[in-house]
Amino acid sequence: MNGRRYRLCLLLFILSLVSLPVLAHKASDSYLVLDVTGSQVSGQWDIALRDIDFALGLDLDGNGEITWGELRARHADIDAWALDSLTLQRGGPCSLRVADHLVDTHTDGAYAVLQLAGECPRSEGELRLGYRLLFELDALHRGLLRLTFDGTTHSAVLAPERAEQRFLAGQTSRLAQFGQYLVEGIWHIWIGFDHILFLLALLLPAVLVHQNGRWRGVARFRDALHEVLWVVTAFTVAHSITLSLAALGLVQLPSRLVESAIAASVVLAAANNLKPLVEGRRWLVAFAFGLIHGFGFASVLAELGLPQEALVLSLLGFNLGVEVGQLAIVALFLPLAYALRNTTFYRRGVFIGGSLATLAIAMIWLLERAFDLKLIGS
Amino acid sequence: MTSSKLTSFIRAHGLRLLPATLAAVLTLAAAAAPRKPADDAEVLERLPSRAGDASSRELAALRAAMAAAADDPAPAGRLAQRYFALAMARGDPRYVGYAEAVIARFSEPLPAELLSIRGMLRQYRHGFAAALADFAAALALDPQLAQAHAWRAAIFLVQADYEAANKECAALQVLGKTVLHGSCSGLTQAYSGQLDAGYRSLQEALASSRDPDNRLWLLTRLGEVAAWRGQPALAETHYREALGIGRDDGYLLAAWSDFLLDNGRPAEVLADLAGWESSDTLLLRLAEAAALLNAPDAARLAQALDDRFAAARQRGDTTHRAEEARHALHLRRDPKTALRLAADNYAVQREPRDARILLEAAIAAGDPAGAKPARDWLRDSGFEDQRLRALGEESALAAPASASSAEARR
Repeated sequence: MNGRRYRLCLLLFILSLVSLPVLAHKASDSYLVLDVTGSQVSGQWDIALRDIDFALGLDLDGNGEITWGELRARHADIDAWALDSLTLQRGGPCSLRVADHLVDTHTDGAYAVLQLAGECPRSEGELRLGYRLLFELDALHRGLLRLTFDGTTHSAVLAPERAEQRFLAGQTSRLAQFGQYLVEGIWHIWIGFDHILFLLALLLPAVLVHQNGRWRGVARFRDALHEVLWVVTAFTVAHSITLSLAALGLVQLPSRLVESAIAASVVLAAANNLKPLVEGRRWLVAFAFGLIHGFGFASVLAELGLPQEALVLSLLGFNLGVEVGQLAIVALFLPLAYALRNTTFYRRGVFIGGSLATLAIAMIWLLERAFDLKLIGS
Repeated sequence: MTSSKLTSFIRAHGLRLLPATLAAVLTLAAAAAPRKPADDAEVLERLPSRAGDASSRELAALRAAMAAAADDPAPAGRLAQRYFALAMARGDPRYVGYAEAVIARFSEPLPAELLSIRGMLRQYRHGFAAALADFAAALALDPQLAQAHAWRAAIFLVQADYEAANKECAALQVLGKTVLHGSCSGLTQAYSGQLDAGYRSLQEALASSRDPDNRLWLLTRLGEVAAWRGQPALAETHYREALGIGRDDGYLLAAWSDFLLDNGRPAEVLADLAGWESSDTLLLRLAEAAALLNAPDAARLAQALDDRFAAARQRGDTTHRAEEARHALHLRRDPKTALRLAADNYAVQREPRDARILLEAAIAAGDPAGAKPARDWLRDSGFEDQRLRALGEESALAAPASASSAEARR
């Protein structure tokens, strides 16, 4: 009897919730992502609608639902309330404004997204941040800050007792910065398909030998490993040299030339597999073209921006990251290729077919880059 | 890496030749991207209560009373108490933050009633030392404050300090609070090796209590004690009577679902907790039941829990480590992580359920030493639940080979 009444209550409760997914209860957080580079401030601030409603009252018609219209009507009030509780200072108070209003969803419901823009009086020196959103109403509210300050990422949990934070320019631990660039290096070799294809084109024949106009598998794993080590080391040494020269600003080449040459290097490496011209000295090819690829890496690094105060360390981290990524590819490729080296599948499909496909792709790259065309893709 | 860096990299490196990769990256970005709704009528959020309903009217009246007498601790105390009650009923910690902010408006030294409420709020966040200090300060100002004694007893029980808990129970008796005294000593007896005596004390307290909230609490605890005594039918009677009172109570629902899970009845957990996903503690029970039944949304529920724990970690919240340990052990099958979490939790909370997850995790991880604190407690307290005692013995022998036996139990 009692149990049934209880179920009826639950049923009513469920019925009242059907039209929206059931979202979590959690303590109140806002998500503040800021980028301060020089004097420029940009960012995004996600504040829960439930919290805004508690502070300002959003549910104008009192039906327990907040619509986009109700939220939109209060944007000016929300901006004033939010910006009043956030202060940034770099050489004096920075101006902050809300550039656009969006919405998003986190684990506990819908959030207003304030896109921030602003400017500080100075472009160097420490940054001070003061946060007091909602603290007067909800002592458990926290601001979860992710700050990119002159290229260095910091995070902090802003609480009533830690509402003021200071960030000193160039003060992250050297180790963290090194790690960050290491990861970037790994990531860039993995998504840099022209580098991967070049390397693979050079590695494909490593498990084979060319004798009397025919390819056959190497006898021992050591032979393949030996070849791979020479090729990878030569490639690495070469691109490390040019990457460093370019990153330090000692040598600069036009990017169109570099990109075209990289494409040409892939074309030549693939063609060499189909009609061998250079044999046994593939490490020389790897070295020569590695110099070109180094300039390619450098252009990526230039876009990432190297922190002036930790130039060499970051460069080293990035370079090592590239090597780690490269070694991962080799570690994946070599055992597989060695196992398959005597199969027709490898010699015809992978080696010949793969080289043909690589050649075709690289030719298109070359044409696109040399003549600034768009042949494939959007 | 920012999206602009990614796109410029893609442009520079001819990645447009691999549209599939690009599409995957863009889809990922789109799923997490903020958006601008097109329709003013689109409902973005449903509030926990609407402006006109009874609970909102009551809160509005309490807030108005507080605003009318800003320096008076009495209306502020009533509002904070109401917020805390809502937090407990709905499992919604935002109300705890609201209550703390109400208290924070007053400057030190706080009057006894506000100290006592702040103690409650601090214990909710597992700030047990600070909470005990608040209750002690409250009692120094007002020795008649039974609530403070009851909360101190509750904290001592969580810390497995039964001697200290007994002192608080005795203080309640001196104050003539029969029901509170019976509740206090009944639970202390049950935790410290006297299940039968504890059951009798709780029952006597129930007999003299008419307040529905007190009855619900006593019936829940009677259900737990009966289950520990190996009397599932009796336990079920108590739980059903408690549920029949018809009040939302997160603790009752969690205890009831654990009882159902222990007795191989996960389908009823899914039925009875439907609609309670918003509370982390209840979502855990739902996810465990769904996993046992291979229910279609089992994976979704387990993922939702992952997200919740991740969100809590982001803000440095560690109050749900016991639940997180259960999640790691029963749902993620990760005994090592479960044991670490259960051990961290056991350093703070030492109730029977905390001992249980520590034992289960240590058995699954094949790590007898990891469960030693729980075995020590079983030995010192003499706690009589046969299931837990058996786990204690098994944990002493646990070796990596028996890794799955704790999971097989569920």
